[in-house]
Amino acid sequence: MRMLVNLSKQEKRESGVNINSVTIKKAEPYRFCQRLLMSLVIMLTLASCAASTVTVRGSYPRPNIPAMPLSVGVYYGEGLTDFVYTELSDAGKEEYFVETGATHKDLFNTVLPAMFQRVVVLNSPADAAAQGVDAVFIPRINEFQLGMPQKTRLDAYEVWVRYNMRLTGADGSYIADWVMTAYGKTTTASFSTAERGINDASVAALRDLASNFSLGFTSVPDVRDWLQQRLQ
Amino acid sequence: MNIKAQKSTPAAWLMPSAILCLLMLLQACTTTTIDEFRQGATGINSDEAIVILGRRQGAAYETRAEFVRCVGDRMARGTGAITVIPEQQFVDALFPWFEPRTAPLRSDDLQQLMAQPLVTEKMAEFGIRYIIWLDGQTETTSRMGSISCAVGPGGGGCFGFGSWEDDSSFEARIWDVSSHTSVGTISADANGQSYMPAVFVPIPLIARVEANACSSLANQLKQFVQGG
Repeated sequence: MRMLVNLSKQEKRESGVNINSVTIKKAEPYRFCQRLLMSLVIMLTLASCAASTVTVRGSYPRPNIPAMPLSVGVYYGEGLTDFVYTELSDAGKEEYFVETGATHKDLFNTVLPAMFQRVVVLNSPADAAAQGVDAVFIPRINEFQLGMPQKTRLDAYEVWVRYNMRLTGADGSYIADWVMTAYGKTTTASFSTAERGINDASVAALRDLASNFSLGFTSVPDVRDWLQQRLQ
Repeated sequence: MNIKAQKSTPAAWLMPSAILCLLMLLQACTTTTIDEFRQGATGINSDEAIVILGRRQGAAYETRAEFVRCVGDRMARGTGAITVIPEQQFVDALFPWFEPRTAPLRSDDLQQLMAQPLVTEKMAEFGIRYIIWLDGQTETTSRMGSISCAVGPGGGGCFGFGSWEDDSSFEARIWDVSSHTSVGTISADANGQSYMPAVFVPIPLIARVEANACSSLANQLKQFVQGG
């Protein structure tokens, strides 16, 4: 800009630049800002319409229970690692995607080594025999429900999860198949976001699962029968 | 002119001072009642600690962690301060035995729980002598009045009057870890009316109901645990 203004009239004529072109160029930064502002407004409008993704993150303490003298393989398959819950608005639009796959793996990777003497994460249930495990544990999410304060009229975010737990022999034979439920809630806090509320309620539900799973595992009838035979 | 202005100073300060005193009086409108029921002898050594846990197994409400922390902080300071283990630290260290669905509900359950070697070991590590279970909540009732606010080119302001009543009701059950028994119960009930007059600016005159319940309960618990 400064260069153009400092050109002599002759140079300006030769270069085809006139005073009008200088005025137009001076207006460019203003237009650029205007366009940027408009783009930002449009992007923010679109972002407010788009569904928000909540990837649940939490830390889980190791259970204080005696470990069973067993070697167990765990398979995190479909229905757990890829599980994404979609919360719909009253108008039926996608509002939140809740991803819990990674945090479920973190949870079981903390809980299972406290419950069993040896735990092996399997890439496939077929690898169990080669790994020499006594049993294969396969957790799966059956159902996930989310209670949002604006819908339930409660001052809390709530999460319910129903799981299907399977325990098979290394050869794939049936040992046990049972259902477990988990519940967690967190009260709404001032200056907190819905994403934070969903995350904290989900982590509370997973803690609930961990406590019930670790303390109630030996009480599942089929598991109890198998353990009696195995540990005799 | 200056002399006149100086002479009018006491009168000019009288009105704001009167309003301030009135506000302080209004803010103090909280009634707290403490009830104590003792079932056994108590006492605590300097190397022993307590833990205060909130009851959270109910669906309707849960004891707020902030209230539990408030009682703990007050018991841990001042004359005759007691070592208080933070709730989350204790619950995490003894996972999964003190989660909402697995926590012992009666002192008889404590005996079964203490039969677990890992639990006994952790309790000894912390030096826990008493477990105090806090159960309760603060409810807001009797909301009345309304405040309207408006903003225009020349400025803005609010006008109106609002009031509400806060009612705190908490119960503390004290379990002696050494004898596996319940040694007493202390309940704290506090209520107070809050006001919000608005003349251009809303002036909140908040009754510190939960804070009063917290301090009264903490003081009583401290005396109780020390055997007073």
